[in-house]
Amino acid sequence: MTGTFLWTVGILAALGFILALILFFIAKKFKVEEDPRIDLVEKALPGANCGGCGFAGCRAFADAAVKAPNLDNNFCPVGGNEVMKQVAQILGYEIKQQSPKVAVLRCNGSCENRPRINTYDGVQSCRVKAALYAGDTLCPYGCLGCGDCVAACKFGALSINPETLLPEVDEEKCTACGACTKACPKGLIELRNKGPRSMRVYVACSNKDKGMYTRKACKAGCIGCGKCAKVCAQEAITIENNLAYIDYTKCKLCKKCVAECPIGAIHAVNFPVLKPKPAPAEESKKEAANE
Amino acid sequence: MSKLTFHIGGVHPDDAKLSHACAIEVLPLPPVVYVSMAQHLGAPATPCVAAGDRVKVGTVIGEPSGFISGYVHSPASGKVKSVGPRKDLAGHNVMHVEIEVDPEGEEWEEDIDRSDTLVTEIPTDHAAVVEKIKQCGVVGLGGATFPTHVKLNPAPGSKADCLLVNGSECEPYLTSDYRIMLERPQEIIVGAAIMQMVLGGCRCVIAIEENKPEAIKTMEAALAQLGYKNMEIAVLKKKYPQGGEKQLIDAVLGRQVKSGALPISVGCVVQNVATSLAVYEAVQKNKPLITNTLTITGDCLPASAQHNYLFRIGMPLSYIAEQAGGVPESAAKIVSGGPMMGKAVANLDATTVKGTASLLFLSKETTKRHPEGYCIRCAHCADSCPMGLEPFLINRLYKAGDLEGMEAASAQDCIECGCCQYSCPASIPLVDNLRMAKGQVMAVIKNRRSNGK
Repeated sequence: MTGTFLWTVGILAALGFILALILFFIAKKFKVEEDPRIDLVEKALPGANCGGCGFAGCRAFADAAVKAPNLDNNFCPVGGNEVMKQVAQILGYEIKQQSPKVAVLRCNGSCENRPRINTYDGVQSCRVKAALYAGDTLCPYGCLGCGDCVAACKFGALSINPETLLPEVDEEKCTACGACTKACPKGLIELRNKGPRSMRVYVACSNKDKGMYTRKACKAGCIGCGKCAKVCAQEAITIENNLAYIDYTKCKLCKKCVAECPIGAIHAVNFPVLKPKPAPAEESKKEAANE
Repeated sequence: MSKLTFHIGGVHPDDAKLSHACAIEVLPLPPVVYVSMAQHLGAPATPCVAAGDRVKVGTVIGEPSGFISGYVHSPASGKVKSVGPRKDLAGHNVMHVEIEVDPEGEEWEEDIDRSDTLVTEIPTDHAAVVEKIKQCGVVGLGGATFPTHVKLNPAPGSKADCLLVNGSECEPYLTSDYRIMLERPQEIIVGAAIMQMVLGGCRCVIAIEENKPEAIKTMEAALAQLGYKNMEIAVLKKKYPQGGEKQLIDAVLGRQVKSGALPISVGCVVQNVATSLAVYEAVQKNKPLITNTLTITGDCLPASAQHNYLFRIGMPLSYIAEQAGGVPESAAKIVSGGPMMGKAVANLDATTVKGTASLLFLSKETTKRHPEGYCIRCAHCADSCPMGLEPFLINRLYKAGDLEGMEAASAQDCIECGCCQYSCPASIPLVDNLRMAKGQVMAVIKNRRSNGK
C-alpha cells in the first residue's frame, strides 16, 4: 500500500522535473529579446488603456515610443507633460511641451433653450437615434442627449445633467483622451486648450443653418451674424456655414466677443469673477452682465 | 393554382387592411407645394429653376446629379417662390423648390396626354423607352425609390429571364397597391408589358397575396382581356415580408439571391405594381411621375376617416392629414410607410415625395415599446428571419463591438424587415441594433473594396 503511494509520488515528481527542464531550455532557446525600456515606459504611463494616444493601449504606445526616433508624434494626453517628461528621461529624448486639453461640448441646446417637438422612445443610444432621424428638436445638429459620450468615457468625467439633458464635463477628471469626440455621432465634442487657470472662451453651438432657422430651433444657437468676428482683435474668429468658430491657439481671452454676441452663444468659463463651476451657461450670462 | 411563398422565416402580423374598401380620391392641390429634390435613392437632384420662374405641371425643376439619380418635375402650375433647404420627414435639411400654385385652373406641359384612353400598343425601341422612363423621373415605388431606368438597364453580360411585378403588399394596413390593382388593372398590365419588352421579352409574373382575392380576380380578367403573351398572375400565401425582393424571387421562382448580389444575378428584375403604373403613364401618356397613391389609415381613425388618396408630390403631410379630417387626438405615433418598416414622422410639415405610400395614425397601445428584457435564447428571432440570420447573435456582437464577428454572422444581409423584433418575447430592440451593425459592416466592406482597387 505504502509502496504504491511512494511510487506514484515519485513518478509524478520525476515527470514534473523533466518537463520543467524541457520548458526551461525551450524558454531559453526561443526567448524574445525585448527592449527593457518598453517595460519602464509602460510603468511610467497611467495604465488606463484608453486609446487616447491613438494606440491600442499603454503597452502599444510604449512599444511605439521606444521604436520611434523622437517623441514628436507620440504624446500621452492622459498623463500630460509630467508623464511625458518621465518617458523622455527613460528614452533620452526631448519632448515638445503640449498644453493640456479638455473636452468641450459645442452645444447649449438645453430643454429650456431648445423645445422638444417630438418624443423619442427608441433605443437610448445617440448612434441609433442619429441613424433614424434628426433628433427630437428642430435643430438637426445639436445634442441628442442619450449619453453615448458618457458611456465612452473611461474616467467618469462625463455625466448627463438631468435638468438640461446635456452632458457635462468634469474638468478635474477629463484627461482629453478623445473617446467622447469619437462616440458623438454629431461631432459636438471638441478637445480644446484647457487655458491658463482653465479659462476658456468658445462657441457653444454647432448649428450650420441660416440664422432664421437656428432662431426657430434654439434660443442659444449661433446665427452667424459675424459681430464676434468683427470685434476680435486677434482675428481668432471665423464664420463658416453660418457658424462662428474661435481658434483657441489665437484667442487671448479678452472676452470682447462674449459681450458682443446677441445670443449668448459664446461661453467664457472659469474666469475669476466667480469660483470655477461646471455650469457654463449661467456663468457666461453673469459674465456678460458684469462687463 | 398553387400557392407559393418564400422558404425561410417570415411572420404573420394581423393584416389590418382597414381602408381596403375606400376608393381612390383625388386630393386638391394646396396653395403652396414644396417639392423635395431627394425623392429617389442616390444623389439628390439639382434644382434647375430659380425664384420667380413660372412653371407648368410637368416642367422639369430638378435634374439628375449622378448616375443613380433622377429628374424631378413640377406637380403644379404656378410661380417658383423660393429654392432652399427645408426639413424632410426625419428633420434633415433637404433642398426644396417652393411653388405658389395658380389659384385659377392649372396649365400642363403641352406634350402630356391627359385623356383616360388606354394605349395598349407596346413601343419596340428599347433605348427610347428607357430614356423616356428616365426623362419622366420614374423611380421604384415599392419603398426604396431606386431609379427605374437604372434597374431596367442590366449591366452588360447579365440578362433577365423573368420580370416580377410585385403586388403582394405584405405590410399591414397599406392598401394603395390593392386599390390601384382594382381600379387601374389594365394600365398596370400594359406597364408590365412595356418593361417586359425592355428586358427583351422575358417571362413576366405578377405576384399577388391571397388576402386580396378581388385584386387577383380583376387583374386576371384584365390580363385575359389584353391577352399579352408570356405573362401570368401568381397567387402567393400571405406572409410578411413577401414583398422583399429576395423573398419574392424565392417565393415565385425558388431561386436564391446570394449575399451582396442583385436580383439580376439570378436573372430577375422586380418592380412594384405602382412603378408599373408609373411606367405606363410615362411611356404611353408622356406623363412624368408627379402623382402616387397613399393610404391614410390607422387604428385611431374611424372607418369614415380612412382614405386612399391620389396625391401630387410636394403636398405637406399636415395638409393631407387636414384633408382627411385632422390628426386624431388618440394618435401616439404617425408613421409613413408600413408599420413594420415605415418611419415615424418627426415633422408633419414635411412634404410628400414620390415614394410616400401611407400615413398611419397609430394608438399608444399599438406602438408602445415594452421595456427591454433579457434574451432567453428562444431563437424566435432566428426562426423568423427571412434572410436566415441569427439576430440575437448579431445583437450581442454589435454590443461588444466585434466587427469581424458581425461580418461573419452576415449582418450586412439584414433587410431591416423587423420580423426578429416582432417575434422577440423579450422586446429586445433587435432591428435598431442590427441596422447599426449592418451600417458598420457595410462601411468596412466598402472601405476594403476601395482599398483593393
